[in-house]
Amino acid sequence: MREQILALLSQYGSPVLFGATAIASIGLPLPVTLLLIVTGSLVAQGVMPLWTAIALATAGSVIGDQIGYAIGRWGGARLVSRFAAVLGGPQKIALAEAHARRWEGLGVFLSRWLVTPLGSVVNLTSGIADYPWRRFVVWDVLGEALGAALYINLGRVFSDRVLALDQALGDFSWMILGLLGTLILGRALWPYIRAKL
Amino acid sequence: MAIAATFFFGFRAGRHARRLHFENEPIRPWMSVPFIAHTHHVPAAVLFQAIGLQPHEHDRRPLRRIAREEHKPVEELIHQVERALAEAGHTHPAPESGGSKAP
Repeated sequence: MREQILALLSQYGSPVLFGATAIASIGLPLPVTLLLIVTGSLVAQGVMPLWTAIALATAGSVIGDQIGYAIGRWGGARLVSRFAAVLGGPQKIALAEAHARRWEGLGVFLSRWLVTPLGSVVNLTSGIADYPWRRFVVWDVLGEALGAALYINLGRVFSDRVLALDQALGDFSWMILGLLGTLILGRALWPYIRAKL
Repeated sequence: MAIAATFFFGFRAGRHARRLHFENEPIRPWMSVPFIAHTHHVPAAVLFQAIGLQPHEHDRRPLRRIAREEHKPVEELIHQVERALAEAGHTHPAPESGGSKAP
């Protein structure tokens, strides 16, 4: 899947960028960060204009996010549970819920570009929790635009090192997720630790 | 576990960041000839000739598709491109599977 999507992006550019970002935001496991980095490299090669690339990636991602939110809010229990299983199961949903509760709108914003493994799950949990749609849209658009601009520009700057950059960013993103998990667990366990001391 | 994961991925992110400076990109079947030419700083015409095609600025077909249309294994095309790059003074890292997929 990863190779096919990259081959299509490399050959056809803009329409594939739009479609792939939308599908990835709904929750299909596509290598969206690598897609954006490769897009940046294509921008550096003069294949695609920078602003068009950022606009298409943002629009695609926002549309995908809205679908995820709509499933959470109006999809009903059966569809939600099926979709949650596709997105990574109860543990990932619980982590995303903790993230969303702790950070609210900022949680939506951060999961668009910094804690990206949680993005699709936060869409779903925001819908389930009836997080106000207008606020969700505002944070979503801001976060996706920042994410698209950030990763496409990184790809543009490191246009001859896209695979190494993707691996570094992938590990960085998981490191942030590990740090987030440590903070959430640490906070939950702190009363017990303090009682023992 | 969460602390261990933080350090583990932090270490790997640092290692990959260092690779940004010191290693050339490996060649993958999804890459087009102009893409490979850009990442290795050689004229695309050199690589097109190496795989027996007329140089064409707008030919952005991935190697996999060229191989299918030319009835050749994609590994053979990659090898030809690598040889052309080696002649132009570039070396390539072995394909690595250790990197975590970008989320």
